[in-house]
Amino acid sequence: MLTYVIRRLLVAIPTILLLVVASFLMMHVAPGGPFTSERPLPPEVLANINAQYGLDQPLWKQLWDYFYNIVAHFDFGPSFVQKDRSVNDIIAQGFPISLTYGSLAFLAASIVGVGLGIAAAIRHNTWIDYFAVSLGIAAQALPNFIMGPILILTFTLWLGLLPGGGWNGGQWQYLIMPVIALSTSYMGSIARITRSSMLEVLNSNFIRTARAKGLSHKAIVWRHALKPTLLPVISYLGPVFVYVLTGSVFVDLYFSTGGLGQSYVSSALTRDYAVLLGVTILYGALTVIVNLLTDLAYAWFDPKIRY
Amino acid sequence: MFGKSEKAAELAADITDFKAVRGRSLFRDAMGRFLRNKAAMASVVVLGLIVAFVIIGPHFAAWDNEEIDWTRMGDILGQGAPSLETGHFFGLDELGRDLYSRTIQATQTSLLVGLIGAAMALLVGTAWGVIAGFYGGRLDSVMMRIVDILLAIPLTLILILILVVAGRNFVTLFIALGAVSWLTMARIVRGQTLALKTREFIEAARAGGVSEGAIIFRHILPNLIGVVIVYASLLVPEMILAESFISFLGLGISEPMTSLGRLIAEGAGTMGYGTLWQLLFPLFFYVTIIITMFFIGDGLRDALDPKDR
Repeated sequence: MLTYVIRRLLVAIPTILLLVVASFLMMHVAPGGPFTSERPLPPEVLANINAQYGLDQPLWKQLWDYFYNIVAHFDFGPSFVQKDRSVNDIIAQGFPISLTYGSLAFLAASIVGVGLGIAAAIRHNTWIDYFAVSLGIAAQALPNFIMGPILILTFTLWLGLLPGGGWNGGQWQYLIMPVIALSTSYMGSIARITRSSMLEVLNSNFIRTARAKGLSHKAIVWRHALKPTLLPVISYLGPVFVYVLTGSVFVDLYFSTGGLGQSYVSSALTRDYAVLLGVTILYGALTVIVNLLTDLAYAWFDPKIRY
Repeated sequence: MFGKSEKAAELAADITDFKAVRGRSLFRDAMGRFLRNKAAMASVVVLGLIVAFVIIGPHFAAWDNEEIDWTRMGDILGQGAPSLETGHFFGLDELGRDLYSRTIQATQTSLLVGLIGAAMALLVGTAWGVIAGFYGGRLDSVMMRIVDILLAIPLTLILILILVVAGRNFVTLFIALGAVSWLTMARIVRGQTLALKTREFIEAARAGGVSEGAIIFRHILPNLIGVVIVYASLLVPEMILAESFISFLGLGISEPMTSLGRLIAEGAGTMGYGTLWQLLFPLFFYVTIIITMFFIGDGLRDALDPKDR
């Protein structure tokens, strides 16, 4: 197990390094920058600005400084467009918001999805099974950016029950729609995976043995079938995290929560490379870490897998 | 390894000879299974109708997708609703452009994105996976490590990054989609190649003196087709989804070109004013395409890979 952890770390760390270097270089070969405007600045002014942001240094020096500041001080540097704010400020302001409803959506999708999948498999070919299956299919065609408008249309415009956007310190009315919009699609996928995995497990030999032994239905499902059922679900949690992360960009934008996604999109539109780079690296690193954790959880959960 | 003999050359010719008796091929079996799958066949019909509509539809359009209807743009809610008289079959968009033409153009974009993204994944991913799997060793570990590293990064963010850096037009869009879509395909193909490589018929081909290139093209690739088709077909809706997501954020293809994601975003932005058709028409096309694509993909999987049900 320990060697496996070390080996996985040996992949994860270069991945993050590569992410930083590659996205940094990509930003810098891009034509145009945040200071290219229709009214060209006088060259002296431009030179001053470039010096202020360190853009007059050779590329390797810029890369090293950037890199060093992230690793040593967790400092992503100043924003190019919002003059008085640093990338860290922007992240510190927006990230907690995205994290709040993101983790709620992640939890909702996993718990409800797994529950629904298990119920569907146990009550195979009943209404709850059909419901889970149709949710699984519908979920594929209803990603977050379709769910968002549909929810607003129903709950805000027709029923007038929920506010159409905003955050208000994370009051529950403001949380409901972002969480539903973000989680529905993955809830469906998780339910589908859990259902088919549970059905397969329930048909396997060791469950037949347990039945023959005279164990109660409850004991079979909870003590024997649950653990192997959850294995494929666990390996799907990494991708779900990625979806929730990218989906949060949409939710921030559409529900105006003030989360990090809003800054991300506006930085992409205004070519604020510092913010774009910072958020990409932050999200990329988070993904690598979560993938690492799910892999470890999987290895710990499944006694058959020993690397 | 062996000396060149006539016997071996003959054997090699036999092994690569394809004019044997036609048996029940895997593909005819698969075709039969697919044709019997009602959901998949219905999806093929519906999708075919949409494709036909996208091809024939522009000939019936009274307005161009960039043209602005100046007489009606001031009162979109009152006069911009879908109607046959005005020639705006799907109504007007927020700026007074004909939604019928714009929806057709957007659907074309989305379908193209799906096809080209999947095709790029198919070419690059298969080549990468076959080479890594077939030659193995250090080459394999280096190539697969690259895939692992790239897979660990959220692809949508990479897509956005490429589009911001390289400009938002069709060519970069397709290249960017291709750049992110081939990774899982490469993994799947490599796994299959590894399994195939040790099978007896490959060993026989080697013993018969067939060259490595011929083994790859004549024996390995044909055996991969099933898996590759299934995965590519599932990739099509995924590509459409990814592109629509980015377009929704406003980071996709730039005006006057549009895509379904962008139209849905515009419709969603104006639904508070009562111009619901601006949301519903693109939404209908989008949802129909995605659902039919998934059913077709599922049908192909059931047909080509009957073990995995």
